[in-house]
Amino acid sequence: MEGSAIKVNRSKTGRDFTLTVANLTFAYLKDPVLKGVDFTLEKGAVGLLGPNGSGKTTLLRCLLGQVPLKSGQVKVMGYDMAAQARLARSGLGWMPERGGIIPGMSGVGLVAYLGELSGMPARDAMQRAHEVLHYVGLADERYRKCDDYSQGMKQRLKLAQSLVHDPEWLFLDEPTSGLDPRGRISILELIRDLAWNKDMGVILSTHLLADVEAVCKEILVLRNGELLSRQVIDSKVREPRQVFEVEGFGDEEGFLAGLKEMGAEVVADGRLHLVTLDLARLTGESATEVAEQGFDTAAGVNAILGVATANDYALRRLRRRPVSLADEFYRMVEA
Amino acid sequence: MPVYDRGYTHWEPSGNRAWPAWWVIAKRGIAEPIKRRWLLVLLLFGFIPAIVKGGIIYFKLKAGDIVDLLGGGWSSIEPEGFLTFIEGQRFFVFVFLAIVGAGLIATDRRDNGLSLYFSRPLDLNSYIGGKALVVIFYYCLITLLPAYVLCLFSYVIAPEATGLDLLLLTPLRVTAYCLLTGGSLSLVLLAMSSLGTRSIFVMVWWTIMVSGTETVGAIAEGLGKGSFQAVNFLGNYHNAGSLLFGGSPRLDLNPWISLLIVVGWTVAAIMVLRSRIRPVEVVS
Repeated sequence: MEGSAIKVNRSKTGRDFTLTVANLTFAYLKDPVLKGVDFTLEKGAVGLLGPNGSGKTTLLRCLLGQVPLKSGQVKVMGYDMAAQARLARSGLGWMPERGGIIPGMSGVGLVAYLGELSGMPARDAMQRAHEVLHYVGLADERYRKCDDYSQGMKQRLKLAQSLVHDPEWLFLDEPTSGLDPRGRISILELIRDLAWNKDMGVILSTHLLADVEAVCKEILVLRNGELLSRQVIDSKVREPRQVFEVEGFGDEEGFLAGLKEMGAEVVADGRLHLVTLDLARLTGESATEVAEQGFDTAAGVNAILGVATANDYALRRLRRRPVSLADEFYRMVEA
Repeated sequence: MPVYDRGYTHWEPSGNRAWPAWWVIAKRGIAEPIKRRWLLVLLLFGFIPAIVKGGIIYFKLKAGDIVDLLGGGWSSIEPEGFLTFIEGQRFFVFVFLAIVGAGLIATDRRDNGLSLYFSRPLDLNSYIGGKALVVIFYYCLITLLPAYVLCLFSYVIAPEATGLDLLLLTPLRVTAYCLLTGGSLSLVLLAMSSLGTRSIFVMVWWTIMVSGTETVGAIAEGLGKGSFQAVNFLGNYHNAGSLLFGGSPRLDLNPWISLLIVVGWTVAAIMVLRSRIRPVEVVS
């Protein structure tokens, strides 16, 4: 049994806030749930996307050091989670999808209790509990038993308990699960405020793409335990592949053949043609370079205009179709 | 600036002392049952045997041997008499521990609380230690505390008849016995609690463990099969206690065998606890 409480290092200077996962493979029983996952994260808001059963929650549990790590390495803020998870956890906040409430306790009692368990002095924990409950909008309900809370209030309470010890990283597992639209927006606003204005690292695990788009600057996509993709969420630099809606009249066959010659994919959509251009191929740059520099829509427009002019095809419509995160996500996981 | 104007602020530690996690868990676990009034009433009932024994001791010390005939072992202020007193508390031990301890881990498992605990900087030993302290506290409250009071009471009313043994050696024996027994019982009860997710089932198993095995032991004794008394769960603790307090064994069984059985239960409980308490429930 430990002899004394964990000493919490609150100093922000000179500390390593990086989160590194190297070749992580994990299995609860026989079949691996995570297979060779590799990434490094600096502080910021990161979305963890993936279909059900893709290993999102397991990955978060590995980051928390809640499961025995046998293959690969997880380092959080400089601590090796296979051996030093306890030390790292004083700087980590965890909002579980299921449970996360200890029945019989008042809201403020629960948050203060978990604050004390995080290594805070009893007085500090109680004061912080009041503060974070104010912050999440439960000030008036803090003395009520948490068993009687509505689903939305429980989610807020879970967020409050994960914040009480002022963690550096916040791991949120489906934080908007079971919330009505208004509750969902308000929770997302809180998370966004923490990540964007309060310098807190946030990993948001969800299958709701809109939640990720609202909060995160970057996404990690998991499928069947493998890290499928890592992308910056920004319509400008998201993907080298761009889709254009094209409609016109004239030598349609020649125009379509010209586009295909250029390497474009063309799909008919009613009267429209959906032309997908790969900018990397068009400009001869690598996908990474394109992603770093950003995508210039003009290059795609000019290329299509060039083919249309060469084939006497008069364009009635030429418009870039915005690619939503959902489109990309489904394209990736269904590929 | 008022709290409600500030939004989220970072925590600035005050420099006050933080308590170890096991103490935080124990503190809450001890405070929780006290909120139930009926439990306090039951606790008062648990003190009645001590009051009765105190009365008998008083009359014995004042009225002489005649009370021995009425009180039997209860009037004894020899160490063995205190073991008899603790043994007599077994009904309250059974009831109190069931109420206080059955849900300690089962409830956490049911509500996915383990995941919450182990997202904090505490280890398995702290968690088990904190929970065990809750059970030990209530066990000692109905055994150790009245025994101390009785020792002191006996010495105060007749210091010349009791001697310093009653102030020093007997309390030491009682302390050692209660802490060891309480520790072992707490681990066994917590192990049972970790096997289920509903307190009521744990209580049923605890009843079988305590009352059921005592009944079987009594039947075995009636049939003259002394070795079968080894199944008497609480009886083994009292029988092993006779090694510490002296006097005749409580069961028709070598006290050393009882001690081995108690150690076996304790080791098994620790193994169960270590394998069952995990932040992640794996369904195979």
